[in-house]
Amino acid sequence: MLNRILDNTRIFFEGAYYSYRALFRWLNPATYLASKVFAPLTMMIFFVYIGAYASGSNSASYYVIGNSLIFAASSGIFGVTMSVGGERWTGTLPYLFGSPANRGAMFVGRAVMHILDGMLGVFIGLGWGMLLFGLDLSRSDPLALIVTILITTFSTSGLGLLMGCLSLITRNVMLVNNTVYFALLVFSGANIPVEQLPGWMQVIANGLPLTRGVACTRMIVAGSSLTEIMPLLREEMLIGIILTILGYSLFKVFEFQAKKLGTLDIF
Amino acid sequence: MDAIIVKNLRREFKSSEGIVKRKVKNVVAVEDVSFEIRQGELFGLLGPNGAGKTTSVKMLTTLLIPNGGSASILGMDVVKDANKLRAHIGFIFGGERGLYWRLSGLDNLRYFASLYYVDSQVAKKRIPELLELVGLNGRERERVEGYSRGMRQRLHIARALLHDPEVLFLDEPTMGLDPVGARELRTAVKNLQSANKTILLTTHYMFEADALCQRIAVINKGKIVALDTPGKLKENVQDLSVVEVEVYGIPPEYIEKLKRQDWVVEVSLENRDQVQVLQVHTPKGAEAVPVLVENLNGLRLGKIITREPTLEDAYVRLVGGTE
Amino acid sequence: MERIRKNLRIMLLAFEIEMRQNLTDGFVVFGILIQPLIVAFMALWMLKGKGPDYAIFVVVGSGMTGLWTTLLFNGGNSITGERWNGTLEPLVASPASLRIVVFGKVLANVAQSLGSMIGSYLLISLILGYPLTLERPVLFVISLFFTVAALVSFGLILASFFILIPDFARMVNTLEFPIYILCGFLFPIALLPGWTTPISYLLSPYWAAQALHGAAQGSLTTVQIMGDWALMLAFSLAYILASGRLYRVILRKARADATLDIMGN
Repeated sequence: MLNRILDNTRIFFEGAYYSYRALFRWLNPATYLASKVFAPLTMMIFFVYIGAYASGSNSASYYVIGNSLIFAASSGIFGVTMSVGGERWTGTLPYLFGSPANRGAMFVGRAVMHILDGMLGVFIGLGWGMLLFGLDLSRSDPLALIVTILITTFSTSGLGLLMGCLSLITRNVMLVNNTVYFALLVFSGANIPVEQLPGWMQVIANGLPLTRGVACTRMIVAGSSLTEIMPLLREEMLIGIILTILGYSLFKVFEFQAKKLGTLDIF
Repeated sequence: MDAIIVKNLRREFKSSEGIVKRKVKNVVAVEDVSFEIRQGELFGLLGPNGAGKTTSVKMLTTLLIPNGGSASILGMDVVKDANKLRAHIGFIFGGERGLYWRLSGLDNLRYFASLYYVDSQVAKKRIPELLELVGLNGRERERVEGYSRGMRQRLHIARALLHDPEVLFLDEPTMGLDPVGARELRTAVKNLQSANKTILLTTHYMFEADALCQRIAVINKGKIVALDTPGKLKENVQDLSVVEVEVYGIPPEYIEKLKRQDWVVEVSLENRDQVQVLQVHTPKGAEAVPVLVENLNGLRLGKIITREPTLEDAYVRLVGGTE
Repeated sequence: MERIRKNLRIMLLAFEIEMRQNLTDGFVVFGILIQPLIVAFMALWMLKGKGPDYAIFVVVGSGMTGLWTTLLFNGGNSITGERWNGTLEPLVASPASLRIVVFGKVLANVAQSLGSMIGSYLLISLILGYPLTLERPVLFVISLFFTVAALVSFGLILASFFILIPDFARMVNTLEFPIYILCGFLFPIALLPGWTTPISYLLSPYWAAQALHGAAQGSLTTVQIMGDWALMLAFSLAYILASGRLYRVILRKARADATLDIMGN
């Protein structure tokens, strides 16, 4: 029994580490800087300026906060989906499925690295916000901020896990990925207040991860405490858990289907 | 007159290992290769995998720039006159890649015909002829992604001939073809040669080189180890006989011991179905059999025959038998 | 003359092939269709208060973002895509110039992306019911031609950078949004810090956006728009001229480094 646990833990960490390395080759510092630090910043700047054009210049903070959390979504969705989809890409999926390793340990392990990476991305985004757009975090409760970011990154990873499953049955992973990512831009309240969306879109927005995280972060920056945002955070966490469970179950179903239909090797 | 002149060609590749501390290794694929090919000659470049055949051909087809030496085709330097030269040469590397899979075979040919500036009237006539020649007529409108390996190989061949080049480079052209297709291709190659085209054929099939080529250069580890007509190459091994012994799993020490014997010139091991065939090249011929059996004491042996050497054996002598 | 006709034929065939290959590629569909539509949607919401003709501003601006993204990711990979397919070697070994093939491919990508601009136009006007009138339609269409020329000729240069600069593909994300920002696709560059303005002037998509927005909204005079055309033409010529030398360099480099094929070593 203990051996089982130790084994699974080892698989968990190994899987996370190796897949991260294999798929992302981040060990090149220039690439890391370009993709993780600079590129998301450029997207943030884009939306901040549209916002400025729309409503005058003092709304920068609004867009900065929202778009910083989008960075979390980036790791959560692309990172996790690529972990699975990427295996298909490099042709290693069949080998992975042939192995007896515990699926849960394997894939949740991958998600952990991306959660950590995502959190880092958000902090970088907020940092840029402070540096370039005068974001004022003086009234923010640091603990509340960290917890919110952690939970939000976790819930978007859950979405990523779900998206990753789709990669088992379709070749067009990147299409789905990008669509969902951009859709989050629309629904999360990062750039458009949720209240301004049409009714049916608000329903979708509230069912997705990230929405409450963005709202919470705005509240924290405005000075709210952890207890005040707790209800929203709980809901965000719940979404994350549901998505993860859904993703994992779907994963097992699709694995079975893929083996049955023989689509594992198709690239 | 020489169509192809190759002098001391050399080509290295850099490969790097490691992610954090990158180590760059230099691999010499072609070390020192020289030969001349006459106009209208069918010349063979024979060697094991990794010997440098494909790399040599890539240098001659202007796809790689040599690190040393020079080569000229029809009087044009492969580096300086590369642009001019391209219209006069055709080549096949074969394999799965090098074609547009989502297009039909016909569309692939039409596209490449335009890339080679083949006059459209000429192309209209020639493409059906080529499809007939390679046996793809009737299938040309299907997408290449649905072709079998053999069909793709045939399409490669048709493509190489679109612009009626004077010089052809065929890199392992029968690879992937079934025996009938391979035989048809060999006939086609012979016909091309009688049309006064100069052809450089690379292969690792000895019998193919023997059957087709007027002269053969044997290349191993980036160097030419022999260059002669098939007949003369065979003569070099006439002094030897080959004793073949069927063995069922032979440990390396036995082979090492045999190699050290002074009556043994070369030893090679071939896998055939259920058995391995030990081939010992020796001047002693049948007289070597008792000594040989003694040396193989303890092993289970099958059939033993003594035979005359073939071109294959000459080849083995040149490139080493037990790799 | 004969040679020019034959080169044109090559370019058209390359165009046709690229069109056909793209229609079945999901990621391409995303860049061409979905991303610009989502950007359009967001910009529509964010810029609601800007006045009656802001809708056409959004359509043109988001169309340009689609054009640029397509150029960057799809057009830019013209050469590297052939390499992955194993067809770069046969292309290079043929007498035809690689530039012509790349031109045809990039043209196909830009043309498809243009189709998406038209698509979003129709979508937004029909489904959302916004009035989308072009104030100077003739000038707009001519501006489109110049835009295509400027973008495609830049695509020639871009494709070569993917070969010339190692790891360029990994850095290419960073070029996506800065162009949106510096070229004033969805907001005037007057909002940006002053020191960025000279940079904007050096970018041909900026002049394209100027001309297209100006013609669509009637905010620029004919002379001003024609001035933009002149600049786009100048850029196009400069790019095409520069590409000659550039391609000679990259092809020689690729043959020396054995990078014409991914399994070169």
